[in-house]
Amino acid sequence: MLCDSHTIEFQNVVQRFRRIRERPDTLREIFAKIVRHKRQLQMFEAVKQVSFVISKGETVGLIGRNGSGKSTILKIVAGVYTPSEGEVKVEGTVAPLIELGAGFHHELTGRENILLNGLLLGLTKREVQEREESIIEFAELGDFIDSPVKQYSSGMYMRLAFSVATAVDPDILIIDEILGVGDTGFQAKCFDRIEGFQRAGKTILFVAHSMDVVRKLCDRALLLRAGRLVEDGPTDMVISRYEEILGHRMPEPAQK
Amino acid sequence: MGELFRDTYRYRELIWALAQKELRVRYKRSVLGFLWALLNPALMMLVLTLVFGTLMRFSIDHYAVFLLSMLLPWTFFSQCLAYSVESIVGNGELLKKVKVARLVFPIASVVSNIINFLLSLVPLMLLIVLMRFPLHWTWFYLPVPMLGLFLFTLGASFLFATINVFYRDVSHIVQIILQAWFYFSPIIYSLDFVPAKYHWLFRLNPLLYVLNGFRLSIYYGIMPSLPSIGLTMVCSLVSLLVGYTVFRRYEKLFVYYV
Repeated sequence: MLCDSHTIEFQNVVQRFRRIRERPDTLREIFAKIVRHKRQLQMFEAVKQVSFVISKGETVGLIGRNGSGKSTILKIVAGVYTPSEGEVKVEGTVAPLIELGAGFHHELTGRENILLNGLLLGLTKREVQEREESIIEFAELGDFIDSPVKQYSSGMYMRLAFSVATAVDPDILIIDEILGVGDTGFQAKCFDRIEGFQRAGKTILFVAHSMDVVRKLCDRALLLRAGRLVEDGPTDMVISRYEEILGHRMPEPAQK
Repeated sequence: MGELFRDTYRYRELIWALAQKELRVRYKRSVLGFLWALLNPALMMLVLTLVFGTLMRFSIDHYAVFLLSMLLPWTFFSQCLAYSVESIVGNGELLKKVKVARLVFPIASVVSNIINFLLSLVPLMLLIVLMRFPLHWTWFYLPVPMLGLFLFTLGASFLFATINVFYRDVSHIVQIILQAWFYFSPIIYSLDFVPAKYHWLFRLNPLLYVLNGFRLSIYYGIMPSLPSIGLTMVCSLVSLLVGYTVFRRYEKLFVYYV
């Protein structure tokens, strides 16, 4: 069943979270709970029995409304979450472009952040140093590279983050809603880079709310609804199904 | 335990970069920068010597050296704990986005404080030279209590960082524990001041043997007894083993609680 050409494989994956409702955070609250003999533990399933396989070199878009489980799936692939049930197989190195700049420290300069972020994403120091010049060049930061990133404009910040994350050169690239980075010129550069990844035969998994972007980049899409995988197939077919759901304004079924 | 050493080696570059970051951030935008690592103990020494050496007239020769020989390792321990208790929670946003070995954060915290500690030995050396205090040959023994101190602190850091993820009270409680611990350790005073019938109580303090190692070799110029050396190592290894085991057991859950 575990085929070599599959880089990502999900089998009946369930991801449960404790719903944060009066979670005892301090001892005082715990004592209060014990006294009241009440447990407020509520679980909810962000991802329910999801199965799919993605082969090497595919670019797959995850679509669905807010809260349908897209980002949770990306985080499972990235190894941030360990699923509550089911089996996950991910082969190759993964670089997450999830919420850019998560590892940046505001007091450090751009250059210092490149090193720190590169190491966090799994590069060695030497690898970061080899790529440093091209990262700076791609981010179009000029002199600002030696200023603390807290002085950057939001565009500069995002450009640097995108540039570092894509410089990791992973087997699997995970992208969550970041193609709104920078101005039109920089966006075009981002698309070029992503297309470069596609030509290099990398697997790309990404979330976007813009259907144009999905159409442009993906051969295949997965439609999620309230944590369930409801459609899996060619992009156009899945998007029209999604628009059908949106058109009917069917409310997202309430989660238990 | 083997994993601990393997992973520390594997992520050494990341740990070092994080430790450097912590030091940079701590001293950034301050005029004196790294000099604070030297000035802090020097000023603290001044205050405590004035209070206990001159005003309260503790009858201890070269009180400043007596005090600093234990105060510096203690300060390392308490500062380190204060920082590393937040090391997982403080990096929570990062943990939720990138898969990264979680143990690098407490270790980096300890490493950055080790640098600080080593710098703080400089004013002590200066003081010893200025006071014409003898530089005992027993300084050679110092690496042993140092290793003990670092391992003990690392264990405590793992433990408190873990508990703090689930119960944020810990970061407050740690401050109180440290206060009490400080006064119940013979740091500003000598154990000779305490009636002998209470000594057994002080011997329960797992840090006592490490701290004593520092004072014996820097101030008294004598080697600790073999049982004392043994206890230094045992306390440190037990701390590390307990702290790391607890950390390892719960680290998979961190991402859901930070």
